[in-house]
Amino acid sequence: MIFIAKLGIGVLGTALVGAAALSSEGFIYVNVQEKHPGGTHVNVLVPAALVPTTLHFIPRHHFGAAPHDLRTVLPIIDAAIPALNDCPDGLLVEVVDPGEHVLVSKRAGAIVVDVNDPDETVHVSVPLSAAQSAIHQIAEATPAD
Amino acid sequence: MTTLKRVFPAVALSSALLLAATLAVAASATRYLHVKVTNPTTHELVRVNVPLTLAEKVIPAINHGELRDGKVHIGNLNADKVNVRAILDALKTAPEGEFVTVQNLGNDVRVAKEHGQVVVHVIDKDSKENVDVTVPWDVVEALVSDTTEDQLNVEAAVKALENVGDTTLVRVSGHEENVRVWVDSRNTDTE
Repeated sequence: MIFIAKLGIGVLGTALVGAAALSSEGFIYVNVQEKHPGGTHVNVLVPAALVPTTLHFIPRHHFGAAPHDLRTVLPIIDAAIPALNDCPDGLLVEVVDPGEHVLVSKRAGAIVVDVNDPDETVHVSVPLSAAQSAIHQIAEATPAD
Repeated sequence: MTTLKRVFPAVALSSALLLAATLAVAASATRYLHVKVTNPTTHELVRVNVPLTLAEKVIPAINHGELRDGKVHIGNLNADKVNVRAILDALKTAPEGEFVTVQNLGNDVRVAKEHGQVVVHVIDKDSKENVDVTVPWDVVEALVSDTTEDQLNVEAAVKALENVGDTTLVRVSGHEENVRVWVDSRNTDTE
């Protein structure tokens, strides 16, 4: 009985530590709702900590020219993301035209993009730290990898 | 113990006030550069709110095109045999007032120094467009600091903007578009 209790505590503890590790970098949240009748509704919530691991399994040729392109702007990204992280939350960009409304804001350590157009609404939230590590990983990928 | 009880509310109140003051200072410390473009005809709107600290860190990291090491290369600033710094020095010590007024068929241009700021006012008679540019003197100096004669020091200007009060830098009003660029401590674009 004591053994089962210890085992249970061990499993629970491992699960808690695992969950804490997975959620330590926040979550990437994507919500897409098509507006036409019967339109698709996509709702994805992924722990950001999974992104670097997942990127390891993507064949490098799928990145195309992205590594090269990202390497050229890496110093800017490395300067911008920590600086943005230190900034207070708030609206960064808003674009309104008669058919479309786009908002880019910084909220709780994440960059949040909301798009509302006649066809669909899109909400994407990406933790800044996850974005930086993913960009680095893609930029450092070479075709030989 | 009795003394402690008597003093405790005062200490708690002081701590709360100190905390509130610290939070207020921290909250108001961030300065923003705002850009707002509106088109009254099409009802289009673009708003950009950039924390100056962000611009300060990003600008030196950009080495692309005419912007390098925080400085932008301006071809037309290369005034032949004209010492821009000497002119700025002269302007700095010049009394407040109007420097240049040009009035012709196409547009009216007025350049003046008012309340420690360089003010440029242009009225384009053809497009019925008004352009007002107001640059605090410290920012003007920062723009030409540590530069060659065909450069503007954007990084230094952004740093200087952090220390100026809330001010509108550019305002363009026309039939098709209205543009406003200004600096304040709010992370929204409320005027």
